[in-house]
Amino acid sequence: MDILMEGKNLRKNYRTGEVEIEVLKGIDFQLFSGEFIVILGQSGSGKTTLLNIIGGMTQASTGELYYKEQPLHEIDDQQLTLYRRNEVGFVFQNYNLMPNLTVYENVRLAAEIAENPLSVLDILREVGLENWKDHFPAQLSGGQQQRVAIARAIVKNPELLLCDEPTGALDIQTGIQVLKALQKLNLDYHKTVIIITHNVEIAKMANRVFYLKDGLLDDVKVIEKPLCPEEITW
Amino acid sequence: MVMLRRKAIRDIKENFGVYLACIIVIAIGLLLYTSMSIAVESMDKAQQEFYSETNFADGFITVTGYPENKVNSLTLLPGINQVTGRIVKEVRIIDQQKDSNKYLKMVTLNKSNAAQINQIKLIEGRLPRENQPEILVDPKFLEANHLSIGDSIDLSIDGNQVSLYITGTGQSPEFIYIMRNAQDLYPSAEEFGIAYISLDTLKVLVKEKGQVNDIVFTLEEGVSFDSVKDNLKAELKPYGFRSMVPRKDQTSHSILTSEIKQIRTTTKTLPVVFLGVAAIILYTMLRRLIEQQRVSIGTLKAFGFTDLEIVIHYLSYPMVIGTTGGLLGGLSGIALSFPLTTMYRDFFALPGLKSEFSFKYLFISLALALVFSILSGIKGSLEILRLEPAQAMRPPAPGTARKTLIEKFSWFWQTLSSQAQMGIRDVFRTPTRSVFNVVGIAVVYSLMTVSWSMQNMTDLLTVVQLEQVQTYDVKLQLSEPSPTGATKYAVAHDPGVSRVEPILEVPATLRNGWLKKEVALMGLAEGSRLYNILDKNGRRLEVPDHGILLSEHLAKSLNVSVGDIIYVESSLRRETISQKGGNLLVTGVVPQYVGLNAFMKDTELQHFLRQGEISTAMLIKMDSAEVGAMKSKYQNASNVSSIESRKDTGAKIEKMMESFGFTVWLLAILGGICGFALIYNSSIISLSERKRELASLRVLGMTPREVLRVITSEQWTLYVFGILLGIPMAYGLSMSMAQSMSNDMYSLPADLPPMALLGAAAGTAFSVLVAQSRAYYKIKSLPYVEILATRD
Repeated sequence: MDILMEGKNLRKNYRTGEVEIEVLKGIDFQLFSGEFIVILGQSGSGKTTLLNIIGGMTQASTGELYYKEQPLHEIDDQQLTLYRRNEVGFVFQNYNLMPNLTVYENVRLAAEIAENPLSVLDILREVGLENWKDHFPAQLSGGQQQRVAIARAIVKNPELLLCDEPTGALDIQTGIQVLKALQKLNLDYHKTVIIITHNVEIAKMANRVFYLKDGLLDDVKVIEKPLCPEEITW
Repeated sequence: MVMLRRKAIRDIKENFGVYLACIIVIAIGLLLYTSMSIAVESMDKAQQEFYSETNFADGFITVTGYPENKVNSLTLLPGINQVTGRIVKEVRIIDQQKDSNKYLKMVTLNKSNAAQINQIKLIEGRLPRENQPEILVDPKFLEANHLSIGDSIDLSIDGNQVSLYITGTGQSPEFIYIMRNAQDLYPSAEEFGIAYISLDTLKVLVKEKGQVNDIVFTLEEGVSFDSVKDNLKAELKPYGFRSMVPRKDQTSHSILTSEIKQIRTTTKTLPVVFLGVAAIILYTMLRRLIEQQRVSIGTLKAFGFTDLEIVIHYLSYPMVIGTTGGLLGGLSGIALSFPLTTMYRDFFALPGLKSEFSFKYLFISLALALVFSILSGIKGSLEILRLEPAQAMRPPAPGTARKTLIEKFSWFWQTLSSQAQMGIRDVFRTPTRSVFNVVGIAVVYSLMTVSWSMQNMTDLLTVVQLEQVQTYDVKLQLSEPSPTGATKYAVAHDPGVSRVEPILEVPATLRNGWLKKEVALMGLAEGSRLYNILDKNGRRLEVPDHGILLSEHLAKSLNVSVGDIIYVESSLRRETISQKGGNLLVTGVVPQYVGLNAFMKDTELQHFLRQGEISTAMLIKMDSAEVGAMKSKYQNASNVSSIESRKDTGAKIEKMMESFGFTVWLLAILGGICGFALIYNSSIISLSERKRELASLRVLGMTPREVLRVITSEQWTLYVFGILLGIPMAYGLSMSMAQSMSNDMYSLPADLPPMALLGAAAGTAFSVLVAQSRAYYKIKSLPYVEILATRD
């Protein structure tokens, strides 16, 4: 498999008032095209920060990060925006939908800025929301909202799909629906999916699992036979 | 970016009230700007065009009699371009109504109207023919007296009754603002008009042969009035030279010009105040919107929207507001310019004065609105750029949790309810927003204070003038300075008369260096009770035995104070031309609200003029039942030029005050709307910011009214600070308003009575209360269960 992304000795510091906190303390990793990765770790282990760096939402304080051999650590804010626009799709725990846009409009909002967007209606069909397209987020259940968020992330046809606790706010049934949608994308569209979660069960779906502990990559586990979402429970 | 546009439209719809308030404030500012700018531009243009079309004179001379055949020779004097000699005579109209007081100023027309100075623009009908009893009148006089072309008017000319036919109406650049004399405060078209008559006709009627009493002239290009006046005076001295004024001091011209100047100043200041308040509302509103949509902004950034795209999206809100406010203000301003111009046409007889649809001002008002809105939008939205997407996705770091300054006064703090503590704490925790709101409230308060005080002041001014200054019942104006004794004796024996006081009013030029002012210098009798000079506290002052008293406005114009020496010239002074004037000591400066005068003791003035005991008018205290009889007795007397009762003067002053009473009320109402918009915006912001807190209070069992206290305590705190800042601001505004609204006819004191300060505080409080009542309904319908169920 081709190397899609490579991180070398990535570190990230935050300053809050007088105190400087080192969130990532030197992380090295490689991502391959079409992989399904789960990042596991406790609160404060640096999962979200790593995901944000991978997604170009923030830059590492030091270290190197290459995407398709391009150095992301050297590019400016404008190029980083283009990277996010064309290569990355995000799914957040709290969905972060625009409350006053309908399901269709929320997805189209993302499609409008993409270079090669997919059909909005096709994507809504894929996530099973074609009949809900004219509803506002407040009229949907949590699972439906999260599927809108997934549709919004993939309509841009990104290479990388990054999900921050996508099932964190959902019950198990709804969570499994969402995970099915994500696995379908990974398998049918060959998108690289990264999920960060507390939930060790979800890790059973992955090709590889990254274990983060205190800002360091503690372990990487390769799973030979990933499970389907229906096969897992929590 | 269709979806972002859709998002903006829905956001605006959700908070329509606040956006509408802001649009209205912008529109008010631009309504004032556009309507006044169009009116003033039209006045300016009409004035310039009319002057050049009619060849308006550069100088105006009155003489006793100058040979008609010598008039042209005056052009031989260096600097003089053209000269026209005329006969100007004021005549009384004979009316069936006994105590009517109507006059026409007859101005002669030269044989050929072409290439003459002060040509008459024929509005309707035809010019009067030579040697025919025909006249042209000014259109306002015709209309006010319900006359039509072809009607005849009976006039008393030198004791003879003459009937003249009206052949048409015409206007002259000399009489755009028609007043009988400088003492008149307000034009009254019904009582005084201008009539144009052929020179030959009038010569016959006044039995004048080959003499003119009025000369107008134009100057050669680049020549100043001052450089020709001495030569002219010397030439005219043997012919009874009376007065010579340059164009800039000509009554009609100077009033029109000062009106144009005053409107221009207002155009530049008042709209800025409203646009400033709108900018404050817009800024706080956008700040709030952006803070509220922080996560949405982060999400947009995460998708790959560029900073520019996001900033443009958030600027679209002020752009929508600016465009709507600009168009609304511009269009309504253009619409208002039509009645406004019509109102000015009532005062100024300017043929070309008309309003028209102006793309220029529509564009300017749109541009102004957009500049103000976008600037406040940029200020409010620039912070987005500073946020990394990852940062924006997180809720903002909690603000400082330190005690605010006011909490240190624990004796005060402990007396407050929890809701009040919540509200007041927030005032101090969001200092920028609070400062903006305080400034806004201060502006609204000062606008209200000034309009309240002006209203008080104009009422007071009328009362003071009529009950304390001019305490006479009738003023008998003599046609020329006459010996005091005989006139006084004659009048004193008329029925109903209880007191007669002579008064000597002479035209004079007061100079201090290069500063000079033409005024009526009043000589008052010792112990005068019918015309009083009052000090600042309304106490009567005796005119000093020596020296001259100046009104405050006059002293300011001449830049003199008590103890200074001024040079006074008067055509009534018996001296050679080179010694026309003399120095006088300024012995006092006194307030004068109506008119612009200097005062001396009559004997001192007679002495200064080298005249005997003369007077120009009699002030009479009498039984009001006999006023009518006195009017009919003297109105035909050749030595009486006019009779004015206190009732007439009162009506004139009131009419004058009405004209800016409207402005003052308008200002108060617009200020109130501004205050409402400001406070309403602040309540909506507080509500949306504290939705969860307020919902929690409701769940705890508080009534909507108890919850409202959080919002109201915040606003009353801002209100108190706003008023405190507003008091000095009001003083400043009052001073500049008084200065810009005062002119030679009236001067407004820059004084703020306590009632104005209290009244405006109540007015501002009222707009706060109205805005709070809106907030109350919002709290009442707060879906608190849903709010608490949703995540931040």
